[in-house]
Amino acid sequence: MATSGKVIRCRAAVAWAAGKSLSVEEIEVAPPKAHEVRVKIVATGICRTDDHVLVGTFPDVEFPVIPGHEGAGIVESIGEGVTSVKPGNQQIRNSLWLHTSCAILTEPQNLLPDKTSRFTCKGKQIHHFLWNSTFAEYTVVPEYTLAKIDAAAPLDKVCLLACGFPTGYGAAINTAKVKPGSTCAVFGLGGVGLSVVMGCKAAGASRIIAIDINKDKFARAKEMGATECINPQDFKKPIQQVLTEMTGHGVDYSFEAAGTADTLIAALASCNMNTGVCVLAGEPPAGSTIPIDPFLLLSGRTCKGTLLGGWKMRDSIPRLVASYLEKKFNSDLLITHTLPFAKINEGFELLRAGKSIRSVLLF
Amino acid sequence: SVEEIEVAPPKAHEVRVKIVATGICHTDEHVLEGNFPEVEFPVIVGHEGAGIVESIGEGVTSVKPGDAVIPLFVPQCGECRSCLSTKGNLCSKNDISSSPTGLMADGTTRFTCKGKAIHHFVGTSTFIEYTVVHETAAAKIDSAAPLEKVCLIGCGFSTGYGAALQTAKVEAGSTCAVFGLGGVGLSVVMGCKAAGASRIIAIDINKDKFAKAKEMGATECINPKDFKKPIHEVLTEMTGEGVDYSFEVIGRTETMTEALASCHYNYGVSVIVGVPPAAQKISFDPMLLFSGRTWKGSVFGGEDLHKNVNTKRKKKKKEERVKEKQRQRGEGALTEVGRDLWRSSSPTSLLKQLPYSKLHRKVPKCLEYLWRRRLHSLSG
Repeated sequence: MATSGKVIRCRAAVAWAAGKSLSVEEIEVAPPKAHEVRVKIVATGICRTDDHVLVGTFPDVEFPVIPGHEGAGIVESIGEGVTSVKPGNQQIRNSLWLHTSCAILTEPQNLLPDKTSRFTCKGKQIHHFLWNSTFAEYTVVPEYTLAKIDAAAPLDKVCLLACGFPTGYGAAINTAKVKPGSTCAVFGLGGVGLSVVMGCKAAGASRIIAIDINKDKFARAKEMGATECINPQDFKKPIQQVLTEMTGHGVDYSFEAAGTADTLIAALASCNMNTGVCVLAGEPPAGSTIPIDPFLLLSGRTCKGTLLGGWKMRDSIPRLVASYLEKKFNSDLLITHTLPFAKINEGFELLRAGKSIRSVLLF
Repeated sequence: SVEEIEVAPPKAHEVRVKIVATGICHTDEHVLEGNFPEVEFPVIVGHEGAGIVESIGEGVTSVKPGDAVIPLFVPQCGECRSCLSTKGNLCSKNDISSSPTGLMADGTTRFTCKGKAIHHFVGTSTFIEYTVVHETAAAKIDSAAPLEKVCLIGCGFSTGYGAALQTAKVEAGSTCAVFGLGGVGLSVVMGCKAAGASRIIAIDINKDKFAKAKEMGATECINPKDFKKPIHEVLTEMTGEGVDYSFEVIGRTETMTEALASCHYNYGVSVIVGVPPAAQKISFDPMLLFSGRTWKGSVFGGEDLHKNVNTKRKKKKKEERVKEKQRQRGEGALTEVGRDLWRSSSPTSLLKQLPYSKLHRKVPKCLEYLWRRRLHSLSG
């Protein structure tokens, strides 16, 4: 491409400091170094995790930063040694991200592997986010964080397959391994929660009880396969007791997709005491500690986490895109708003107000 | 207090057992210390025993007087959801989960002492010469088994061994960490070894326990008190990224979190086996799970003692039936190949197709002889 090897000037949404809204700026994107790829982002979803970044929930994220991690685009140029993709290839950004507050990785992914950034704005170095940074027209990423996908895939739809959809769908299919005829409870009906509902339905669950304090989300949950929808605020007794009574002995599989301590405890207690499996799909507040009764586990329950739905991303994303094209699932149902990139802050407002599930931004 | 008590005869579906031997488990100690406020006093504790059936109540069919049995603190009714599930082992008729009654199924006790009713303990009560248990809580065992040794299968051994093999499902070549080297912890070590783990790191603050742990299969023993940094950091450094399987076998909520953090951040499995004092909560960072770890617990090692004993018996009976049918058909130890030859309407063409090198190990001698002779005459 004509821009290959040169610095590109383009738009990006920069978070200058925690607690401030995103600022759409003109930035400079340096060309990719060895084993890096520069991608022209075509579409990116807004995920709750990006909101957590803006609010300052992650102590290891350094500002100023370009968030965004659920995007799809086309390869613009490649650095030395890159073999798996070439310019013109369609890509989905992987978010191979592991939070650092529990010492999983020794360094956060605020800079590329060589400890430098490819972004500058107004003379300042801007940090990357999870080696993704899809809230930029052009981003630079390590080669191994890209999944090459079918050229026919509509990027404004499949960008969701970079985070929200596989996290929830995989939580049901891969992590919980929901069996046909089983009963499921899903706490939280956002993008990930609804994807869990879709996954439970695809796995053949006989009952999918969807739980949220926002009843406006119920209609969509039913469209995706929920058999019943309940609002904990409608009951005096704890929701885990309600669910145990509804099912007689607790659900076979419960999913936490709201990211709060209370819902995790409720989800764990809602599944059958001896054979139940509870999957934590929602992102809990960093630095929090949750108190749980050890007897919840001692009686035989299993509680597991599911990073990105347990998919090996580079292998699985192309397959998921192929399944999407074959209409094996309809992740489009998660897209409630499509906005031009300039309206990114409006997208965040919709998310915070509970009025959107997934807003997709187009460049 | 060692007392003289009266033990009533068994009612319908109950069994009176003469206890021959009983182990002392830490859980019994927890009860005496008052760590389980739901347990009603006065009570006869003990739950890890073995004995002989003295008499049976009406309707009891699975055991008879004289049978060797192990009382089970987790019964197996065979009808409830857990019993019917392939994954479950906590029968709904148990008296260990919330609100235990300390009484038999009809709401009464079989024990009296000095005119007072004495409670049962988790459906067993083995610190007594004669106990009464429900039929579903009595597992018949081999009469040749030494009761003073196998009583441990009633709790400690099965809990630990099962935690490794059934709950965690330790795989060959994997790395394990076992926190706590008491009876159950050492049984976990044995289970990990039986599963073929490549490294079994045993952890205890009492180094006197290390020798026995090594005898049972531990590859390394460490004492957290020898390190300044938290033990999960030590284990992560020792193994690169954390162990595949970790087990908490002490019953201490802080160690439960340490054990969780010691296993691999993405695919590690941590099992809680140790029983903590009631009402104590574990405080953990949910991000430990978010990256993909699995946290589970198990009671009685996930074991269905009844089922496991009965499964082996059923398998043996099936094998005997198959062999008997083969004998009746004159097939002896024929394999599929031999059977095909035997039943084939044109054994000649079949014989021509089968190479001798493939047959000679499988087909019994008589057929082998026939094969040689036939081939010889065919090629003649």
